[in-house]
Amino acid sequence: MKLEDSLLKQARALYKDRLRIALAAFIFVFAITFYLFYSPEIITLGITPRDGVMPTGWTQGFSVVASVNTLGFFSAVLLMALIFKIWSWAFLPSPASTFTLTVLRGILGSQTLIKNSFGKRFRVTLENGLQFDVNCSIKEKDTGEWFVYNLVSTKLQCDTLRNIALRHGFGVKDNRLVANVSNDELHHRTFLLTKAMMLAGTTI
Amino acid sequence: MENNSESASVYDLVTLMSSYNDTRRAILLALAHIYPRSVSGVQLSRLIGYSGKSRSLYRGVISHLKDEEVIQIDQLTPKLYAIRVNNEHPLISVLVELCRTHGENARKLYLKALEEE
Repeated sequence: MKLEDSLLKQARALYKDRLRIALAAFIFVFAITFYLFYSPEIITLGITPRDGVMPTGWTQGFSVVASVNTLGFFSAVLLMALIFKIWSWAFLPSPASTFTLTVLRGILGSQTLIKNSFGKRFRVTLENGLQFDVNCSIKEKDTGEWFVYNLVSTKLQCDTLRNIALRHGFGVKDNRLVANVSNDELHHRTFLLTKAMMLAGTTI
Repeated sequence: MENNSESASVYDLVTLMSSYNDTRRAILLALAHIYPRSVSGVQLSRLIGYSGKSRSLYRGVISHLKDEEVIQIDQLTPKLYAIRVNNEHPLISVLVELCRTHGENARKLYLKALEEE
């Protein structure tokens, strides 16, 4: 447990640090973009407020605001924000994926096929070919809890599926076994999920 | 063992309970002891000695337990919820039965804690 805890602590610190660095970089890039888009000639959109509505100085200001440059600038900022969002959403800090893999390998055996193709999702294939997904969220929005996992099995066809699910602490959604587990439960509940899937898989 | 399927249920219950973390175990034990009484989110978070906000407990652990059909939540008013264990769950009914037969003293403690508002 000690090792795992320290891994998650590291992952948390790393994540926070990365956010800070990304934010600093964002401010820097923002300034450069601002310069790049407004230092060349201003190309106005041709929209001008009617005479007499605003003082003349304001009309000039307005033409700068309503310009192709502004449109370009905003789309550049939007793009940056989007990239940042995707980056922070898709990738799990590496100590956290080490933690997850260690726990899963520990309970399922080192021979088990675990694919970590997409940042926060681990797809586990059991010996009998059944699969389940372990999805990690870095920080749960509603509760502020760190590294919460969502377990989802593949669709299972079994008459007693609900009973098997409940007896192993899982809910059933769309013929899949599902549960949300915290990181200190990952070990044991993955174990129960595997057991439940073996049972459901053999009693088709 | 007198009844094999009964002891199988107890075995499943033990493995299930040990798969949960501290918070979930505390919630289930407390609720199973006081069943059929239900408690509000605030009462529950006090009962299990939860230090965070009861709202985050509610949105996290409690709603997850509800998805797994281990507990039931009745909405009394838009802001007041009644939380209790789901006695129709195959293992929780075993736990409730155990608490009922052997947990008289623990129940008294829980109920006393609930009355001290």
